[in-house]
Amino acid sequence: MEILVPVWPAGSSHRPTKQRLRDVHGARIALVDDNLDIPFTTHLELLLGERHGAKVERLVKPSGTAPSPRDLIDGAAKAEVAIVGIGL
Amino acid sequence: MKLVSESLSLDDYDEAVELFFERGWTDGLPVVLPTRRRVEAMIAHIGRDPQESLGPIPPKGGEATIEKLAINAVMGGCRPEHFPVVLAALGAMMDPAHNLNGVSQTTHMCVSLIIVNGPIARELGFNSRDGVFGNGFRSNAAVGRAARLALWNLGGAVPWDTDKATLSHPGEYAFCIAEEEEDNPWSPLHVDRGSAPGSDAVTVFACEGPHSVFCYGTPEEMLHVLTDSMCSLGNNNMHVMGQMLVTLNPLNAEEFAKRGWSKQDVRDYLWEHARRRLSDVRACGVVHEQFRKMERDAGRYPLRYDLDNPTTRLPVTPTPEDIHVVVAGGRSYFAAVLPGWGGFGGFAVTRPIIRPAR
Repeated sequence: MEILVPVWPAGSSHRPTKQRLRDVHGARIALVDDNLDIPFTTHLELLLGERHGAKVERLVKPSGTAPSPRDLIDGAAKAEVAIVGIGL
Repeated sequence: MKLVSESLSLDDYDEAVELFFERGWTDGLPVVLPTRRRVEAMIAHIGRDPQESLGPIPPKGGEATIEKLAINAVMGGCRPEHFPVVLAALGAMMDPAHNLNGVSQTTHMCVSLIIVNGPIARELGFNSRDGVFGNGFRSNAAVGRAARLALWNLGGAVPWDTDKATLSHPGEYAFCIAEEEEDNPWSPLHVDRGSAPGSDAVTVFACEGPHSVFCYGTPEEMLHVLTDSMCSLGNNNMHVMGQMLVTLNPLNAEEFAKRGWSKQDVRDYLWEHARRRLSDVRACGVVHEQFRKMERDAGRYPLRYDLDNPTTRLPVTPTPEDIHVVVAGGRSYFAAVLPGWGGFGGFAVTRPIIRPAR
């Protein structure tokens, strides 16, 4: 008997990993969170900026439980590094 | 019929069934084998292009083509007549208002319940009466499981992987009911939500399993126990609102109607009285408080409640209309409350069931 497979073949969309930054000094970092723990994110922003010299851009996901809007993803993608944190 | 899915040639039934477990293509139960003949019959029944897609199913984004959905519907035990109901249910789940991406991956135990309305429910033998949330009826079981298998195989909503439910509930195998429309004094759910009377529709709503409510007596007595059951401090609604489902049995509904209560009257009363004082809610801890603040900052939690006043009485939903009332089950003593995921999503979406052209 001929049985049809219920899944799609494993993706062939593998993309090579970007080269890791050697140093965040001077790097543009997108810091994305959902505003659930603002003091934590603010502390992280200060550490990255004041201690390590990074240029941090804060981006806020409107919901921690749904995908980010396209323009937020595109904005984060323009940075050299994106840090995404949601939840507790 | 031109199909694009990979196929396997297997002669041994037992070997084929076991293969689905080995490849991770089933939910823990054996499946009906999706032979080409069965899948083609499913697609032929609805007369649509096998490569037409409802879109990518989150979280992993496998395309929900008619062909792949037909394969999963066969696996779930559907007959071709069930397939339009499966398609409507998945279309509703994939509506952004339902936030299937979040529902599939949350640590909460909500699962998308499928509620079938209209003449098709009776024609296909969906159970809307005694034991409505339970087993024993092919249409409820097969449609419910077909949808879950599509989420599993195409969406990749798999426990210990993307499905992060801490406890989940048995509805992850199949979670489908029909509303009782004959023994029901009120308009059915889909009509309340804008569908034409006499039409066929499904409504999906992500919720916990049914919580039993010993609900018998006068309207006031029934409302007394229902409101108490709805505002438990353990449910998400009490902290971040969202939506909730209340299932009344036909005897409950008849009793309300005989005393002049409309469904909206019931909903209004439930919303007004299923409340807890802010001081009670706050005693649950700082984490609950943070979630409430996040929802308020995001504009999903009404600003009209004074969260600095400990005597403020908080409702479980933003409006009475966020309490969905469905009539189903046997004529007896029990109703059910099904809390939702809260303000995060899983909201009710209603879609028409498109019957094939004759």
